Amino acid sequence: MDNRNITQEQLNNSGNAKVGEKNSPTLLRFFRRKWLNIWQSNPPGVGLLSLGFCIAVIMCIPIVYVIWQSVFAGTDRWMRLLDQRIPQLLWNTLSLTTVVTISTVLIGVSLAWIVIRTDIPGKKMWRWLLAMPLTIPPYVGAVTYIIVFGRSGWARDLWESSTFVISTLGEYSINIYSFWGVSFVLTMFTYPYVYLIASASLRKMNRNFEEAAYSQGLSASEVFWKVNLPLLRPAIGAGAILVALYVMGDFGAIAMLRYVTFTAAIYFQRASFDTASASVLSLVLMGLTIVILWLEARTRKKIKYYQSTNTYRKPLTLKLGKWKPFAFLYVSLVFFVSVLLPISVLLYWSKIGVEMGALDARFWGFAFNSLKVSGFAAVICMLFAMPIIYLKSRYPSIVTSIIDKLSYAGYALPGVIVALGFVFIFNNHLPMLYGTFYIVALAFVVRFLPQAMQAGEASLSLLSPRIDEAARSLGYPPWKVMLKVILPNMLPGVLAGGALVFVSSIKELPATLMLRPPGFDTLAVRVYFEASESIYHLAAPAALLIVIVSIIPVRYMLKKY
Amino acid sequence: MMKSKKLLALFIIGLLSILAIGCSSEPAAAPDAEEQVASDEEAGQLVVYSNRNERFVQALLDKFTEETGIEVLALHGANPLQLVEEQNNVRADIFISNDLGALGYLHGEGLLAESNPEGIESIPTDFRADDNAYFAISARARGLIYNKDMITEEEMPKSAVDLFDAKWSEVENGYAITRGGNGGMIGHISALRYEWGDERTAEWIAAIRENAAGIYQGHGDIRRAVGAGEHSFGLVNNYYFHQQLVEPDNNNVGFIYLDQGEGEMGAVANAAGVGLVKDGPNAENAAIFLQWLLLPENQVAFVGESLELLINSAYGASYPAEVEPSIVDFGDLKVQDMPIKELGNFFEDTTTLIEDAGLDLDLR
Repeated sequence: MDNRNITQEQLNNSGNAKVGEKNSPTLLRFFRRKWLNIWQSNPPGVGLLSLGFCIAVIMCIPIVYVIWQSVFAGTDRWMRLLDQRIPQLLWNTLSLTTVVTISTVLIGVSLAWIVIRTDIPGKKMWRWLLAMPLTIPPYVGAVTYIIVFGRSGWARDLWESSTFVISTLGEYSINIYSFWGVSFVLTMFTYPYVYLIASASLRKMNRNFEEAAYSQGLSASEVFWKVNLPLLRPAIGAGAILVALYVMGDFGAIAMLRYVTFTAAIYFQRASFDTASASVLSLVLMGLTIVILWLEARTRKKIKYYQSTNTYRKPLTLKLGKWKPFAFLYVSLVFFVSVLLPISVLLYWSKIGVEMGALDARFWGFAFNSLKVSGFAAVICMLFAMPIIYLKSRYPSIVTSIIDKLSYAGYALPGVIVALGFVFIFNNHLPMLYGTFYIVALAFVVRFLPQAMQAGEASLSLLSPRIDEAARSLGYPPWKVMLKVILPNMLPGVLAGGALVFVSSIKELPATLMLRPPGFDTLAVRVYFEASESIYHLAAPAALLIVIVSIIPVRYMLKKY
Repeated sequence: MMKSKKLLALFIIGLLSILAIGCSSEPAAAPDAEEQVASDEEAGQLVVYSNRNERFVQALLDKFTEETGIEVLALHGANPLQLVEEQNNVRADIFISNDLGALGYLHGEGLLAESNPEGIESIPTDFRADDNAYFAISARARGLIYNKDMITEEEMPKSAVDLFDAKWSEVENGYAITRGGNGGMIGHISALRYEWGDERTAEWIAAIRENAAGIYQGHGDIRRAVGAGEHSFGLVNNYYFHQQLVEPDNNNVGFIYLDQGEGEMGAVANAAGVGLVKDGPNAENAAIFLQWLLLPENQVAFVGESLELLINSAYGASYPAEVEPSIVDFGDLKVQDMPIKELGNFFEDTTTLIEDAGLDLDLR
């Protein structure tokens, strides 16, 4: 092509010699050089790149659509919401997020410290026992706490059966349906995010720093505050941000405990089909999420801590001494409250449920629905994750990092927003799929794709690019290299990612509630409905099944951190 | 170019094969699903949206499937506005509503279709649309359920007007209402607007929102809470009182029909019924359903566990022994004179009024 252009221009023999051409080879060459510069002279094939790009666009379309809707919601609606609703919702959401984040950091870091760095009895066992609350979705946790501490829960019966308690403390006064109730429940079921990341960081901490500090005459607590804590700062930040995003996006636990945050408000607005208001609230919530992500990134950038690795020595184990019983009591208490109590409640009601015939054909039908939709989402996620992570690791450039970032859009934002975008798109433009279970599965893909990506990336990073080069040199195009050479080798990682997506999908509540077609209830939806009708013997077996399934990826999570 | 075309083809094939796997895995994984598919071919399906309590409706739908072989796909907890949203992409055949106002509203929007099922004469004309696009089966009245251990009948408020007074927030553990999004609450507020006008009704909403100790998602929560002594009384429909009487414990409750005195407006009534959705995908089965539902035994089944009052009390809905003495026949009740059919004309403005008052989102 280029050559012929040039020859035509060279034959420029008409009356007026033409100056400046339409297809400037210089300009073309300039762009080509730029393009090659971006990729550091190694651009991926057009096919692979466009595939990756398509996936990334699919991942963020629903969100773009919500933004679009909110912009056209009308000034009236904006003014009314800004005037009456948004200030209250902001306060509700931010206060809850702050309290839960702070308390999870306190609990998570202290537990990690005790378990990793001290000689607490049963160290190894505690390590994974304390991560177990991850298997209990907060809305299930909320149900169990309502059963125990609700206005007519077990705790009330216990309280009122003891005249001593009544005479000293008065009438039963625990109100689980309060700000502190919600904070408590969310804290108990989200602290493992902080705990896991902090323990990983503590395990890797170099002993040399501490020894230097001790040699300067610092006490154990001073070492903790001045050496360990600053080194833990990135881990705490990462854990805290996970918790904060979770709290802002949670629907189930918050709705069950009758608290209203942005997410719950969006859900209720949508449930009463005021979609314009719902999208306005969504836009504000998106802004909030972005501000939090940005704040975290900024504070992390300012400070950098380096731990030289070539002189690495394993960290010291502290002797607890007289504090041993207290530490043990504290750790046991957290375990009791966040795992033992909820699981016992579930077992108790499941037993009643099974005796009353809760495991009927209907129940297995719901379980099958859960399996079908989650399995479908997991398969698609595994397929979609491949091109993106392959591009990201083998062709690092600004383009691939944009693709990567776009894929995270649905993951960082609350599920209700993704679901809202899906309702718009499918009802208006893709009526074929509207009202089928595929729409639910696709929403799961948008929400959980990054989980599959992270798992795949970890195993891809172990494969040398030399393997790719060898395959390329033998004449395979990039996408074929990916499918035939790389995929078989990184399969364990991809499958682990699929398992993570599967479990997250089984637990997912708000998007399923908003998008499920008629006659297609999942286990999570059943738990929500039965529990809100206080039919615990039907809610508990479904919840227990979800918890059991969720145990699968905990092994993986523990290995990862 | 060639490469990317090939790749696109590959991608599409991949996607299609996933879809195929997704579809084919259905019968493969569950043998009973296969049988279902077979029976579907004979009898087909019926898509029902319902905003009535699932426990009452599912039993009725199961009975229908059993007797006709038609598989019912039910979406419980559906909002009537979902039909408005889906009007260009209709999914539902039948809408079962707890609030006749919602059906009236849908009819006004032109989303329900005329019907003329056999047996429709059994429903009094006050309780059905002129073209029978929707009709009611059971009726209820609003009132206050109270816990007899905490408050006596004499101490209870007797009129909706009483609830303006802040003193009711001071009864033991306060009182309970539902969220403004609840169908029963919407009907109640529509009736008050008919009686009082918007301004006074807005004040009333503001008053109960301020004074209520508990704001719940549904009436079932309220009856249980009042029965258990979590509140002294709560604003519910009369049949929730009946339901609480049947509970094995926490059943020492009473009920006040509001505004029964001389010169007062009378109890606010509402009805539950069904509407035929226009252009639904299974119109034939929908017609079968309506006809089936009008059979006396199925009208009784519609009431089912809900313990509502059957409009055709002659069909003899049977109530448990605990409830029987507390049943007040609709004829013996002073009922507000707003025709229930009118509710539909109030629906839209009522939801706006509730939203302006902020009661649609409150939970406590």
